[in-house]
Amino acid sequence: MLSDLLYRLRALFRGKEMDAEAEDELRYHLEREAEKYRRSGISSEDASRRARLAFGGTTQVEQECRESRGTKFVEDLLQDLRYAIRSFAKTPGLSLMIVLSLAIGIGANTAIFSVTSTLLLKPLPYPHPDRLAILWLRSPGIGIPQDWPSPGQYHDIVTQNHVFEETALAIGDNFTLTEHTRAIKVDGIEATSSLLPMLGAKAMLGRIFLPEEDEPGRPQTVVLTYGFWQREFAGDPNIVGRSITLDGHPHTVVGVLSPDFRLNHEVIPTVAGIDKPEIFMPPKEEAKNPTNYGSENYNIVGRLKPGVTMQQAQADIDVIAARLREEKHRDRSFTISVVPLMEQVVGNVRTAVLILFGAVGLVLLIACTNVANLLLSRATTRQREIAIRAALGAGRARVIRQLLTESILLSLMGGVAGLGLSALSIFVARRMHPGNIPRLDELGMDFRVLVFTFGVAILTGIVFGLAPALRASHVDLTANLKAGGKGSLSGGLSVRHDKLRGALVIAELAISLPLLVGAGLLVRSFVRLANVPPGFNPKDVVSMDIGAYGPEFKDPATPVQFYQQLAEGIGRLPGVTATGAISALPLTSAVGWGGMHIEGYVPPANEPELQVDVRAATTTYFSTMQIPLIRGRMFAETDTDKMPPVAIIDQKMADRFWPNGDAIGKRIRRSDDSPWTTIVGVVGVVKEYGLDTDTRMVVYYPHTQIRNGTLYVVARTSSDPASTISAIIHVVNTINPGVPVYDVATMEQRVQDSMARQRFAMTMLGGFAGFAMILAAIGIYGVMSFLVTQGTADIAIRVALGARRASILSLVFRQGVGLVLLGIVAGLIGALGFTRLMNSMLFGVKPTDPLTFFSVLALLLFVAVFACLVPAGRAMRIDPMTALRTE
Amino acid sequence: MSKQQGKESMTEERLELPQGTLDLLILKALALEPMHGWAFSERLQQISREALRVQQGSLYPALHRLERRGWIKAQWATSENNRRAKYYRLTPRGQKQLEAETATWRKLAAAVGHVLDMA
Repeated sequence: MLSDLLYRLRALFRGKEMDAEAEDELRYHLEREAEKYRRSGISSEDASRRARLAFGGTTQVEQECRESRGTKFVEDLLQDLRYAIRSFAKTPGLSLMIVLSLAIGIGANTAIFSVTSTLLLKPLPYPHPDRLAILWLRSPGIGIPQDWPSPGQYHDIVTQNHVFEETALAIGDNFTLTEHTRAIKVDGIEATSSLLPMLGAKAMLGRIFLPEEDEPGRPQTVVLTYGFWQREFAGDPNIVGRSITLDGHPHTVVGVLSPDFRLNHEVIPTVAGIDKPEIFMPPKEEAKNPTNYGSENYNIVGRLKPGVTMQQAQADIDVIAARLREEKHRDRSFTISVVPLMEQVVGNVRTAVLILFGAVGLVLLIACTNVANLLLSRATTRQREIAIRAALGAGRARVIRQLLTESILLSLMGGVAGLGLSALSIFVARRMHPGNIPRLDELGMDFRVLVFTFGVAILTGIVFGLAPALRASHVDLTANLKAGGKGSLSGGLSVRHDKLRGALVIAELAISLPLLVGAGLLVRSFVRLANVPPGFNPKDVVSMDIGAYGPEFKDPATPVQFYQQLAEGIGRLPGVTATGAISALPLTSAVGWGGMHIEGYVPPANEPELQVDVRAATTTYFSTMQIPLIRGRMFAETDTDKMPPVAIIDQKMADRFWPNGDAIGKRIRRSDDSPWTTIVGVVGVVKEYGLDTDTRMVVYYPHTQIRNGTLYVVARTSSDPASTISAIIHVVNTINPGVPVYDVATMEQRVQDSMARQRFAMTMLGGFAGFAMILAAIGIYGVMSFLVTQGTADIAIRVALGARRASILSLVFRQGVGLVLLGIVAGLIGALGFTRLMNSMLFGVKPTDPLTFFSVLALLLFVAVFACLVPAGRAMRIDPMTALRTE
Repeated sequence: MSKQQGKESMTEERLELPQGTLDLLILKALALEPMHGWAFSERLQQISREALRVQQGSLYPALHRLERRGWIKAQWATSENNRRAKYYRLTPRGQKQLEAETATWRKLAAAVGHVLDMA
């Protein structure tokens, strides 16, 4: 077997030599045979004749010898390939367009499908991911679409449900790790011991938590993630059993998780908004109390028993929720909803991704249409050549094989180019990773998809290469040769005779128009969004979260002092013109809200208690951020805890309760038992949660009077932001090296980042629409130039008979434009349907935005007309004498 | 291999070789001594007493095929009349193949003969 293969290989590379050898061998035979006859007295001439007769046809024997070497298939293939490349070189434009079309089709599809499958199809990296669910409280009736449950509710669910195999209670929190006189902020999760096993986490060193650690009064332990252990403890192999200091308390490290464990904000959105937990700890004491219904700050996750559906689970939890609604006097709309974990992770990007997926399917369709179209053109212009080959004795199978080789070769070239393009697209997608699209960092090229799109493209090549090959291979030889191979199959200068090709062009335009309109709408939305005033001036403002918490800040007066001292230090820095601080900075993950009572205002019976955003701000926060004062005054240095409590509200709240502008002096309080607070000022509305999101009403309190939590510090600077930031960090370290600084960014960055998702969607869909338009233009150009090539003789005759050049131009041009208009009308109808689906992705633009439709139409029309104009111009310049002579 | 045979005059005393038999005869002949193509065609006519008829040309594709399979090996050498000719000789694998095919052939011939005698 092996020797056979080696022989064939040798034969392949030494074909010429072996031919010569065989020739020598046969000649020897003939000479000996003739010699034999001559010896028996036959004349020399007659002897040779007899020898040849006994031998048979020499050429045929030589051919058979060649075939017996077993290399015929490959040799034919090589010949076909050489021929194919020669013929590509003869029509470089056409070949290039085919390759380009395929490259776009394959490349774009692979890239986008890779994104889709990463985001939507790849299961979560946990055991039995389809059985995992997360539970949320919902009270839509009082404006709370989603809220965190409490330990009390967790306890009820654990004891009363019939559907969960396992449940876990978790809460996220920030900790300060003090290690080697350096303080860093650490994100962590405190959870029942069931959480880690449920998520398939395994200890690489030591152990994970034991069920008894869920009981009250256990020693403080901690489990580290692999990354954290590597980064902060340099992968210390003796870490287990060591004590580390978190928030000033010693905690014993009991284990390190294996490197493949992943958990982030998308999977379990904790109340602290932590992105990626780096340490895990047993539940804190308040979580162990089964009657703690007040602390609605926890996540509940559970794994269903095998065979239980999400619907059954929801029905079971509904019963528990109904009981809670009665016993705990919740509002009428209160429910607990069971959300499949996968839904939780990808829920909000599903629409966007599916639209992209649809878009890319359309692009593939256009690409294949183009290839089909171009291959048809190619085959038709070669009728004559094929007829000649057939006349010279090429078998039908041989001709088909030749044409197939060419189209498959083209497909492969397109495929390789497509591979490059998809690698590039994925690189770009990763680079512009907006950070808030779940799972995108897992993105890689999906090879199944690559194989699939490659297959589709090659199949297109085969099918549409084969159709003309079959047609061409039994053309009427004489008719074709007489007609010069041109104009015999189509009617010269009219596209009407080629309905298929015309339909393809119409389809391409009809497909690309909706994509372009979609992309246009996203661009318009983005521009609208970028122009939304955030309510503050983000230019030249740096910001960072400075965490004054831990045991040394227990006394409420200490953090106030710390931030005052800090503000003085920062204020002295060169370039800093203003500095201030606030508990929850806009466009960060920090939040804060609570109930609100207004003196003299009794909410209607069926309305829920008022809920507002609550902020603690320093005196200079508003002036630093340049949030405009609309009425009254800002906080003053005199608003200390010794003075009567004051508050500033935003315009949204003022407009709702005091539309006549008389808010100043009115009194509010946070609950029935807290003191009345006087409103002293009204400030402008600030976009807290994103430029596209409506804000809630906000109440600001002076930090000196409310003293809660850690603060975000902002500073307006006239010097370089980066150097200002490091200078501020230096000031923090000088005052107290135990205070961590994190979430550092300029306000402009925060504004940009808040639009990352929109920018991502816009770029992706824009890219595809662009591709689709290029493909459609190629399609139109291909068909029109084919028409001109076919009609060269017609045009030449017309010109020879005195037709004016301009009339030739308009003859060709009119036909192209006819097709374009039909395609655009069809596309408009499609676009109206397509953009309706996009409603949720748009901002400040209607799906039927006339400006977008008009601009896209103009653009597409321009490109299409240009694509028609080039071949039409060529038709106009045809020289009748040359053209007719070559016919 | 045998499809071009006997296109011209078909004399009764000359037999067409059944498919594949030519290979067996080549192997047998080469088992005796290495030889070139023409010598084999001469030998075949002599031994078979002119009863077997082989179009001389069809010999060469068969030789090349056997060479590809590794049953025979070719080598250029000076012939008896002092000219360069391509000599073929049997390889050890060819020897085995010859034995196997000979056995098969004998069994087949015996079986067919037996059936014919019965009838």
